[in-house]
Amino acid sequence: MEVQVVADTTEIEVKGLDFYYSGDIHALKNISLSIKKNNVTALIGPSGCGKTTLLRCFNRMHDLYPHNKYAGEIIFQGSNLLSRETDLINLRSRIGMVFQKPIPFPMTIFDNIAYGLKLRGISKKSELAEKVEKALHHAALWDEVKDKIHASAYELSGGQQQRLVIARALAVEPEVLLFDEPTSALDPISTAKIEELAGILKNDITIIIVTHNMQQAARISDWTGFMMLGELIEFDKTDKIFTAPSEKLTEEYITGRFG
Amino acid sequence: MLPLLKKNPVDLVFSSITAIASFSVILFIIGILYVLISESSLAIGKFGVIKFLTSTDWDPVKESFGALTNIYGTVVTTFLSLVLAIPVAIGIAIFVTEISPNFLKGPIGAAIELLAAIPSIIYGMWGLFTLSPIMSAYIEPFLKKITANIPFVSILFQGTPMGIDILTASVILSIMIIPFTASIARDSFNLTPAVVKESAYAIGATKWEVIKNVVIPYSKLGVFGGIVLSLGRALGETMAVAFVLGNNHRITTSLLDAAATITVTLANEFAEADNDVYLSSLFYLALVLFVMSFITLAIAKFFLLKAERKYSR
Repeated sequence: MEVQVVADTTEIEVKGLDFYYSGDIHALKNISLSIKKNNVTALIGPSGCGKTTLLRCFNRMHDLYPHNKYAGEIIFQGSNLLSRETDLINLRSRIGMVFQKPIPFPMTIFDNIAYGLKLRGISKKSELAEKVEKALHHAALWDEVKDKIHASAYELSGGQQQRLVIARALAVEPEVLLFDEPTSALDPISTAKIEELAGILKNDITIIIVTHNMQQAARISDWTGFMMLGELIEFDKTDKIFTAPSEKLTEEYITGRFG
Repeated sequence: MLPLLKKNPVDLVFSSITAIASFSVILFIIGILYVLISESSLAIGKFGVIKFLTSTDWDPVKESFGALTNIYGTVVTTFLSLVLAIPVAIGIAIFVTEISPNFLKGPIGAAIELLAAIPSIIYGMWGLFTLSPIMSAYIEPFLKKITANIPFVSILFQGTPMGIDILTASVILSIMIIPFTASIARDSFNLTPAVVKESAYAIGATKWEVIKNVVIPYSKLGVFGGIVLSLGRALGETMAVAFVLGNNHRITTSLLDAAATITVTLANEFAEADNDVYLSSLFYLALVLFVMSFITLAIAKFFLLKAERKYSR
């Protein structure tokens, strides 16, 4: 596998990150890693290892709930996004997120995507239409929905809904997209489509994906982090992790001895 | 060998006791309904249904009774109190569920529950001795002044501000139902799935946008059910209103006039009901209130159930 030149630009640098859920549950312990620009980074590990917790640090989702505490730094384009001064609204439109279950809003397909744009203050009809179409193309959904763009988003299949949600996240033109087990609720064909999409999307954006499915991590990611009990056990090129891991725990996990 | 037929005596006694307890509720309802109907049969026979419901007479001397003035007073005070209470209650619910820092949630929740725990007679006393003078001295003259030149609206504020009137009664009622509406609205807001809220936050929605576009649309059925429940409560409230409504069996367009609600009439007039028709008419009035409350409760339950089914999957 050739390593592209751009692949060496760091998009996000995590330095000594600790995270505590309310009640002082130490969920992430001294995590350091760098997320490379225009790469797919996968986070794997057994349930409860903290991979989703780590993912939700990047867009400060934990701030929605009281008493959660961060320590350490996550440097995103030169500034620590864990700082108190971070504008969370801007942060979340630059680092988007796609959840486990597809969650369209109870509105039409068009409005679902236009919603985020309207939040950004875009109100011109022609501009909205153009950006919605672009996002749907980008998420490889346009051909399937172009004739029913004003139908309810609930009429779409699960896989289509998930791509709609991806389109919604893409519409506001984020630099990073976080995927939290995006295919765990989908059938194999829809899963394949999302995986293929991730491969295309990384030309424009940086992707971090949490997955339960090791084959998925192996198939689509450039970098893989293996986590256990809140610690990052190993972080390396995906090829290396799956062929010649340096840590015994990693090897045991990927060969299916636990987890 | 263990016997296959169950005949555990303790179990049997236990189930019987709980069953009796439950069926007694149904018995009470039937009993109450029976008394209301049988006691009011004289008035039902004399005035019929339509005539009783549409007549504005309430004349003990001529023994001519109609429920309309009382129904009017009940409906107007209830409606007005809801109009005053709903915005405040929803504001409280939004603050407590979505905005307030955690350390404030407890105290505010406790205050709301305390407000609901105050006996209504105390609301009535407070209304008579504190609110009523304030209303007649400041608020009602002010409303009269600012609405004086607005057509139609000025009709609502005609007459001398006395403080014992529909407006004061509605304000008291609204304070009484605020905790009720607020706690049901809060519970409905909490039914909004966290993932849906997170999805909106994740594309950069602000708190207000999430509340407006996600929380409220998701919980409107439940909130509506809560409002109807509060309506039922306001319909049946007696003591708080009795002090500050006056007892006036006339339909008036001004909110600054005294009026009568069904409950206030019942509380005031049983002692002076000196003939059978009068007494029977009061029972008839109670029956009307029973049916009104029953219908509101049924509507509320319908919406709350629908809300639960829709979102608890």
